[in-house]
Amino acid sequence: MTPIFCKLQASFALSRALDQAALLLRSSVSVQLIQGRLSFANERQYRTMPTHGIGRYKHLLPKEAPKKKKERLLMKQVKLATDTEYGTLNVKVSGYDMVLVEHYSQYIHNLCNRLGVKVADSYALPTKTMEVMVMPEQGTKMYVDAILKTHERIVQLGQLKATLGSIFMEVLLKNQPEGVQLSVNHHTEADYLERFKARPELTGLMAQIN
Amino acid sequence: MAAPCSRMIVGRPWWHFIIPTVSKTGPNQIWFRKLSNAVQTRSQSDRVASPWTLHGAVCLQRLPVISQERNPIEGQFAELLHRMELERSLLSEHEQRLLEDKERMARKQAEDYDSDEEAEYGDQETITAQDQEDAWEQKRKQFQLAQRFRDLDGDQQSVQRCLGDSLVLLAQQSLGPGKVWLLPQVPWQPGETLRQTAERALSSLPEADFKATFLGNAPCGVYQYKLPKSVRTESCQGSKVFFFKALLSGRPSTSQNGPFLWVRKSELPDYLKPAYLEKVNRFILDL
Repeated sequence: MTPIFCKLQASFALSRALDQAALLLRSSVSVQLIQGRLSFANERQYRTMPTHGIGRYKHLLPKEAPKKKKERLLMKQVKLATDTEYGTLNVKVSGYDMVLVEHYSQYIHNLCNRLGVKVADSYALPTKTMEVMVMPEQGTKMYVDAILKTHERIVQLGQLKATLGSIFMEVLLKNQPEGVQLSVNHHTEADYLERFKARPELTGLMAQIN
Repeated sequence: MAAPCSRMIVGRPWWHFIIPTVSKTGPNQIWFRKLSNAVQTRSQSDRVASPWTLHGAVCLQRLPVISQERNPIEGQFAELLHRMELERSLLSEHEQRLLEDKERMARKQAEDYDSDEEAEYGDQETITAQDQEDAWEQKRKQFQLAQRFRDLDGDQQSVQRCLGDSLVLLAQQSLGPGKVWLLPQVPWQPGETLRQTAERALSSLPEADFKATFLGNAPCGVYQYKLPKSVRTESCQGSKVFFFKALLSGRPSTSQNGPFLWVRKSELPDYLKPAYLEKVNRFILDL
């Protein structure tokens, strides 16, 4: 036991000395002493070693599907009206006061959840800013009097049954706050495309191609 | 809220009476044919020998114009939230400008004031934020807010009363011996849909033209009553009244002097008979 231990110690010292020598000489170090079967942490064991592959775990994990590249966002299918149900409906809430508009759209969403109406989507359209310019009687130059921002929120409903439709509309109308406009329309592809920003370079290139 | 209407239609045994549910146009006969064959023979026999007369009635509602009054607790809580929000909020652009202007004025008043040291001049010299605020304050004083409570609240004939609640139209019609307050109704004539009956009921009201949008093609409620034994005959045992909901649309003309009342749901018991009221209450929403 002890001679091996002494040999190990000796080999340790020898390896360290060699290491330092190598560093001094600025050459790459890869020392492996066959007698002591020592190696550094960055060296893998040979296949005959009993501890070969001791740290492997990836083979134990469940197989993952290969990661797909993110697909282009396609429009969700617009459902058509059947005899007993309305198709995809857009309930649009718009107004100047954002607090009221937001709260009302949240109220509609919660009401739909309660009544069991499936809400397909709930999003906001970009805010439209309107500047009110006033021209004084004496002067000619117009100056900005007020800035009005119109906020819009849309709640998209899935299957609204015809029997529930009239009650739903009545409840919505009775709880509409002041200063908020409500409009219910069928969802069309034009509504979907309205949400995207215009891409002038793309349209320019397309025009050039055609 | 959703419960009254759907329970109404689903809860009753559907062979008891045929309700036109979803079909849009067309006379009654087509609906009967759409139902399953098992019912057909029965429905035809019903149509021939039914002792019930049908009526169509309209429940015309005026939607609330302004929001409801807050409870005392609601008012206190709203105030508390408002104060908390104000204390936690950051300064807006306008308020920042006010502070900057004040500082600038203070620096101007100081003795060792050097205008060249001033970082940004621009056109902020001409109109300060304080001036703007004063101008806005002036404009606000000129604006008159409309009153929430008006004297019209007591007058039950006017449509403009109780702007925070939804009102129902009641008409006084003569049924049998005396006059009774009820929702405007008219007997059904063969060859028209029940919804058309209800529309006719609305348009045939004397001295009034209400423009209304009907909600849906299905009735929202039904009330049936048997005639007193003295009047009962073989062919006419009683009648069934089908109610349709409509919402008042457009500006109502102020010249209505007919026997009408616009009442809130809480005032309905003063005018309607108990059994009738029980059925009507089920579909009038008071929110």
